[in-house]
Amino acid sequence: MQYLIMCRSLTWAQRSAALLERSGITASVVKAPQGLSTSGCGYAISIYRRFEEARNLLAKNNMINGKIFKRTDTGEYQEIG
Amino acid sequence: MIYLDNAATTMIKPLAVSRAVMKAMQTMASPGRGGHEPAMRAAKTVFDCRMEAAELFHVPSPEQIVFTMNATHGLNIAIHSLARKGTRVLVSGYEHNSVTRPLAALGAEIHVAQAPLFDSAAMLAAFEKQLPGMQLAVCTHVSNVFGYILPIYDIARLCREQGVPLIVDASQSAGVLEVDYERLGAAFIAMPGHKGLFGPQGTGILICAQPGSPLLSGGSGSDSIPQTMPDYLPDRLEAGTHNVCGIAGLREGIRYVRQSGLDSIYAHENTLLQAMVSELSGVEGLTLYSDHCRNQSGVLSLRSARLNCEEMAALLGERGVCVRAGLHCSPYAHRTAGTLDSGTVRFSFSPFNSLEDVTRSCQFIKDLL
Repeated sequence: MQYLIMCRSLTWAQRSAALLERSGITASVVKAPQGLSTSGCGYAISIYRRFEEARNLLAKNNMINGKIFKRTDTGEYQEIG
Repeated sequence: MIYLDNAATTMIKPLAVSRAVMKAMQTMASPGRGGHEPAMRAAKTVFDCRMEAAELFHVPSPEQIVFTMNATHGLNIAIHSLARKGTRVLVSGYEHNSVTRPLAALGAEIHVAQAPLFDSAAMLAAFEKQLPGMQLAVCTHVSNVFGYILPIYDIARLCREQGVPLIVDASQSAGVLEVDYERLGAAFIAMPGHKGLFGPQGTGILICAQPGSPLLSGGSGSDSIPQTMPDYLPDRLEAGTHNVCGIAGLREGIRYVRQSGLDSIYAHENTLLQAMVSELSGVEGLTLYSDHCRNQSGVLSLRSARLNCEEMAALLGERGVCVRAGLHCSPYAHRTAGTLDSGTVRFSFSPFNSLEDVTRSCQFIKDLL
């Protein structure tokens, strides 16, 4: 299952991914699909495994500042946070 | 060739710098634009450079590292963020035109904290006396003309006590002396990438404690629909495509500085400075601007009673010694030191200079006189 955590900037996404990588959680920086961001182009970090752990770690470090989406089996993005 | 114009640009760089520039040219696209591999490779390089800089300067977040074209660009952003027409601004008597011209162009009310060359107690006293009532202070860490190390941490403390925001010009200190963002508590710290950080020309860093006001508006690769620049760093101050090749080189330059260690770099440059002062002390007709190399980085200015500065620099140039003569874009500093009428010849060192460079240059100078 893919999760996307929206980030306000590329640098923020990179910083988030780096934080997760240091804890052994694989996260990649991706361009956010249009429509998920209300203000145009944006970046997100994509996580496939250990999502809850990742979310908690980011929250603990005040690193969540965007919406969170889960990609469903049909390819839709469902907002979960 | 003996290159002793490192205060302008460190032309001789670690080999990794030019390699990184070339690799970036061949393999990297625009960061923060496409999502393809060359774009993401560029984005990683830029981010890595932010992280290296954040570590070196003790900056809590890489977002606060803004890439600029040079120190002048960074200083202009900082000054335009904090000064307006009539803003009362206190500067030291050793500022570069990259500070004083933007202030003058804005119509700021410039006050100068004057103190004799190398007299840090007097400089501190001048700031202490003149800071009350000021709305902004701008101060260089090291004079680009004389290598004079100003008491910047004490000046920063005075500014904090008075509630006056401070802009630090770290053009000559970044990569040589400790520039500690957290200890300084400055609003902005501006520096070039192409001097002590060994990056290519066309690179610079502005460390920001606040979002600041953009000098340029344009694409940021983020929040594309609103017609204003994003309100967050670094995007707010980085309109347009980044100088990825330059930043790739700068990353390697900063790595070199971190691996070498600031203490080691400073000690080497100070050894060369002491050697030059020792060699030239007592030469008839030569005035050296030095304070026994104590409050002084690896920069030495001198002037001769026999040769004017431009002549001396040209004659040294004919012998393969690269130095800079004149006013060094710092009339304030020359006015303070009493050298505005003649200028000086400036010798500036880097870790890539040797004692032999100094000895040979000194011999050339003696031969000329």
